[in-house]
Amino acid sequence: MRQCITSLLIVLRLRPFISCALMISALAFAGTLYAAEDNFSFETPEQRAAFLTLTAELRCPMCQNQNIADSDAMIAHDMRRKVYTLLKQGKTEAQVIDYMKTRYGDFVHYQPPVTIATLWLWAVPVLFVFIALLFIVRRKSASPPEDMAAKLAKADAMLEQDKE
Amino acid sequence: MKNARLVVIPLVLFLLLVVFLFKGLFSDPRELDSQVKDKVLPAFSLPDLMQPDITYTPESLKGQVTLLNVWGVWCVTCAVEMPYLTELKNEKGVHIVGLYFDQDLDPDFGTKTLNRVQQEVTSMLSRYGNPYAFNIFDVYRDTSLDLGVTGAPEHFVIDAQGVIRMHHIGDINERVWKNKVGPLYNRLVADASTGKFDSDKTTTSTNANAKTISAEVK
Repeated sequence: MRQCITSLLIVLRLRPFISCALMISALAFAGTLYAAEDNFSFETPEQRAAFLTLTAELRCPMCQNQNIADSDAMIAHDMRRKVYTLLKQGKTEAQVIDYMKTRYGDFVHYQPPVTIATLWLWAVPVLFVFIALLFIVRRKSASPPEDMAAKLAKADAMLEQDKE
Repeated sequence: MKNARLVVIPLVLFLLLVVFLFKGLFSDPRELDSQVKDKVLPAFSLPDLMQPDITYTPESLKGQVTLLNVWGVWCVTCAVEMPYLTELKNEKGVHIVGLYFDQDLDPDFGTKTLNRVQQEVTSMLSRYGNPYAFNIFDVYRDTSLDLGVTGAPEHFVIDAQGVIRMHHIGDINERVWKNKVGPLYNRLVADASTGKFDSDKTTTSTNANAKTISAEVK
């Protein structure tokens, strides 16, 4: 009887873990179901990882703000297929990105290259902070500590004036 | 003096921001810089849509200025522009070649037979007019990808040397032809006829072209 109770307690204590495990396995199953739609199979897990990062990093030229993993446009399907065949041919990630860039331009990659035109994206916030700091520092040093006594005297004079 | 600077600097910054945002109002986010402009056509070897034993290569488009029209029967805008393209062909003698692709998501497991595609194309062309000298069938959509095609319809103006001179995304209507595509096309045609002595030989009808190609294949 006692044993029974302890085992019951153990089960009760483990319950959240069990349900959690169930949920994870259900999610994993759903994931495989979803992935089965496109029927890509890979020889190595590295290839699979490369495919997943590439389809997340490449931008669909038709649908503007979706990556090609997300998009259901035909061009995204074709690009996924192309990424897959290129990876199967043993191309590296950089080569696949270059392949797409020569066809669709820098637009197709979510990471913009650093050029004179795009450098400002990184430079402007930093410059802004520096200029603002400079501004604050200069402003503080420019205004000298004012003579408190002189101020008080002035105030007194004004009060005197009011009295009259 | 110091006050003036306090006013002027934010004002200038604000005006810059206004100019930037104002320009943004008229910029088209769908406009992409074409990567193939001023480059020769990418290599391809594709069958004719109607007579699959004819094979086309970039050489097939050399010798005369071509308007390459990327299209498909599933594309509504293509149907809309087709009567105007037919008009261009009949009245202005524009040499229009179709680059046809179908919408089967995975061509390897396509559900459509070639016969079916041909039937659909024939019925669409008989309804809206046939502007095409011939249609190249981009079976696996590889050539479309090489050309940087994002959808349909898209157009490429290709000069007599096989160099892509313009990539126009979207349909061609009277306004687009008059303002954008037409002037370039006409200039290229003029260049081709004055610049080359053997233009008579090269601007033979596409039928003759197709025949020589089919002869080569056989």
